[in-house]
Amino acid sequence: MKKANRILTILMFVFLYIPMVVLIVASFNTGKDITQFEGFTLKQYTELFRDEDLLGLLGNSILIALLSTAISVTFGTLAAVGIHRLKPKMRKLVMSLTNIPMTNPDIVTGVSLSLLFVFVGTGLLGNRESLNFGTLLIAHVTFGLPYVILNVMPKLQQMNPALTDAAMDLGCTPVQAFFKVIIHEIMPGIVSGGIMAFTMSLDDFVISYFVTGSDFVTLPVEIYTYTKKPIQPKVYAMFTLLFLLIAVLMVGMNLLQIRADRKKDSKRPESRGWRIAKRCVAGALVVALIVGGGFLFFGNRQEKIILNVKNWGMNMADGTDGTLDIIAAFEEKYPNIKVNMSYYESNEALYSQLKNGGITVDVIIPSDYMIDRMIKEGMLEKLNFDNIPNFRYVDEEPFKNQNSYDPTNEYSVPYTWGTVGILYNSKYVDEADVTGWELMWNENYAGKILMIDNSRDAMGIAQYLLGYDVNTMDKAQLQACADKLAQQRPLVQQYVMDQIYSTMENEEAWIAAYYAGDCMLMMENNPDLRFYLPEHQGFNRFTDAMCIPTCCKEKEAAELFINFLCDPEISGANMDYICYASPISEAKQYMEDYLAESDIIYPSKEVLAKGTAYRYLSEETSRFVEGLYQNATKTVDASGPDNGWIVPAVLIVVMAGTMVLLIVTRKRRKL
Amino acid sequence: MKKNKSVLLSVPYMLWMLAFTLIPLCVVGYYALTDPDTGAFSLGNLQDLSMYLPVLGQSVLYSLISSLICLLLGYPVAYYIAHRGPVAQKILYMLVMLPMCMSFLLRTLAWVGLLQDTGIINNILDAIGIGRLQLIRTPGAVVLGMVYNYLPYMILPLYSTLVKMDDRLIEAAEDLGCTPLQTFGRVILPLSVPGILSGITMVFVPAVSTFYISQKLGGTDTVLIGDLIERLFKQGDNPNLGAALSLVLMLLVFVCTGIMNRFGGDEEGGVVI
Repeated sequence: MKKANRILTILMFVFLYIPMVVLIVASFNTGKDITQFEGFTLKQYTELFRDEDLLGLLGNSILIALLSTAISVTFGTLAAVGIHRLKPKMRKLVMSLTNIPMTNPDIVTGVSLSLLFVFVGTGLLGNRESLNFGTLLIAHVTFGLPYVILNVMPKLQQMNPALTDAAMDLGCTPVQAFFKVIIHEIMPGIVSGGIMAFTMSLDDFVISYFVTGSDFVTLPVEIYTYTKKPIQPKVYAMFTLLFLLIAVLMVGMNLLQIRADRKKDSKRPESRGWRIAKRCVAGALVVALIVGGGFLFFGNRQEKIILNVKNWGMNMADGTDGTLDIIAAFEEKYPNIKVNMSYYESNEALYSQLKNGGITVDVIIPSDYMIDRMIKEGMLEKLNFDNIPNFRYVDEEPFKNQNSYDPTNEYSVPYTWGTVGILYNSKYVDEADVTGWELMWNENYAGKILMIDNSRDAMGIAQYLLGYDVNTMDKAQLQACADKLAQQRPLVQQYVMDQIYSTMENEEAWIAAYYAGDCMLMMENNPDLRFYLPEHQGFNRFTDAMCIPTCCKEKEAAELFINFLCDPEISGANMDYICYASPISEAKQYMEDYLAESDIIYPSKEVLAKGTAYRYLSEETSRFVEGLYQNATKTVDASGPDNGWIVPAVLIVVMAGTMVLLIVTRKRRKL
Repeated sequence: MKKNKSVLLSVPYMLWMLAFTLIPLCVVGYYALTDPDTGAFSLGNLQDLSMYLPVLGQSVLYSLISSLICLLLGYPVAYYIAHRGPVAQKILYMLVMLPMCMSFLLRTLAWVGLLQDTGIINNILDAIGIGRLQLIRTPGAVVLGMVYNYLPYMILPLYSTLVKMDDRLIEAAEDLGCTPLQTFGRVILPLSVPGILSGITMVFVPAVSTFYISQKLGGTDTVLIGDLIERLFKQGDNPNLGAALSLVLMLLVFVCTGIMNRFGGDEEGGVVI
């Protein structure tokens, strides 16, 4: 029995630590892929220390954890003393209030706080930037406080109440009694509560994810967006270093504890020197953390204009693989502007983020149909073209003339254009099967198909397959498309956007529908990949254009940025990295020849004529399509009864049932 | 005199908690009961939820299974740790704590690298001639992810109950002629019920509401309620329906923990690791 227990324990530790070993090994890998160890290197570590952004994010995380812990500890300890003195009934009530954030799922806490902040901040107070550093801090304090209270309360209850009385009899004021007596008795509780609050805050992802604004992002939230894009190996290096740091801290704390226990046993009083040394070390640690966090935080925050840009993932050259680092070039030209880039995965996600409110964004790059929608809903600012002289470089046809989304050319400046087609791996996919969009429904490749994860593109593919107009508002046709998508679901490996990169490149999936430019990029990394455009059925031809939303703060700087990106030389260098087509013909001469001449990026006029652009339908249709799409792709088989009243009824029954149960059991206990 | 004054210390705290826990929940309720288009009162969102019932059922099922597996795995481990010497106990306890302090996003991602079709495990299986298996994107992978991430939440409360248990009770049972199995069934197990209940709660609550684990390790058929809420808020442009789902999730969790606390005879203080 004992032996079995020991083996099980060892196995459990292996289970717990294997993934961490994988990550640590990956940090020394020369290759990018976590599954293939190609060679040993320390490159990731040097790159990590050169990456100011990543270190800044770590600094942000530490700063918010320190601040929120400091506030929760002070506030919580005082509150605990107060609660301790409350009448038992009242105390019970307060403690159940304390338990709410403990028992509530994180996602509900996050959602509820973000709704509150936007509801009060934007709805009632009219503050556009209602999700910011302050609200993030409030959220962290709110979930840190209960840890402090729940750790301090038991210590207060264990404390001999005569101690306080004795102190006061000896002439202490209540405040003095607190600082001279009580605080020493409850110190262990304060410390363990503080440590818990700190670690919870440092590693919190779910709550921060919902309440975070654009001005202050913590490391876990950024890692979430990293894990959607191909993850940079330097993140593993950071993981390894943090792991070592925490391991050393924990071992150190335990050693001190063991030592202290031994001391207690031998009843020898602690020497004065040792005590002072301990305090010095603790003090130095706290100071170092605060200074370090503050330095990382304020170091990046000189008196500069912060320009918040929201972009698609992998959609602007960032200096990797010998390309131009566009942001760095821009900041060099305009030293008083700092660009803060964040990402969205689809037009719908961007729309949703702006509509939910609470954030400031200065530049966005949505696609045609979404621009149309945003113009109609008054979400975009008119541009001042005096600040964007480079607009003259943008091709007349088809961008300035007869464009479907911004016919008066007042709100947008084209950034890229392209097509949506199929990317497949020729190693596994039979060329004979590559006949059209039906490849995405081919059962021979079940489980190896990646479907594009946004309602408009996915519905569009079904529409091309079924031969419908992609801009139809006919509900029966839309329903038929949704049915087609639902039929596809068992064959689909995953619904993805940016994740497509790693999955297609390492051959985890074989077929995907995606944007031509990104496909080109992936083909560079895996020579077996091929791109196919189903010309006979039709395909989407899109334009992504830069706009300034009404929630912007730095309109002029935003226009400078847009102008900068329209410089043919910059645009060309940018396309070298993102592999999309530039709306500026002159940019071609600055692009790599193989890209400028590629018929994937620049299809011929005849081919392009077979493509169609999505147009904005109506708000009602958009919502209808979104609902259809979600239901077709994101539910388990909804073959249940079609009765809308089940949920409300079940809710009421369950609530009533619990009430009765709780009352009955309470009564029984009293007897 | 002094008594009255220090009671006042709790007032700002109560106001804070009201403002940032109770009122936000009311706001969720408000959103759940309003129509996304008109802003008028409506039960439409709750009605729409009925199509998500299978998702709800699936979430509860997976998290219950995970809690059970965690219990079966965690109990012997906690028992083993609780019966080591003081130094070994500290070290083992620390080893259980340590993974909890590291980014759970990255640790889950490591599992993707291990489990995927072209992943580490399958590469090994392929190399030794077994061939590749479908490991990832199955309900099993989601449950594995939950067990992996939340197992420490089970071990720690179990450990603190078991370590407090009076060894003399066990000796007494043995002296009175109990077989080891009887001792376990009649003495040890009943005494560890509070730990079991708080462990199950601490695994069940995060598991039922997770969205990252199912997004990374699950397939198209393992959608969980957390996924839906995340999508409705972040992509689907329907916060009202998302609020309604959050409301359901919250009620579900409160009902579960309420029942647990009632039968566990938990007094004030709640769950502390």
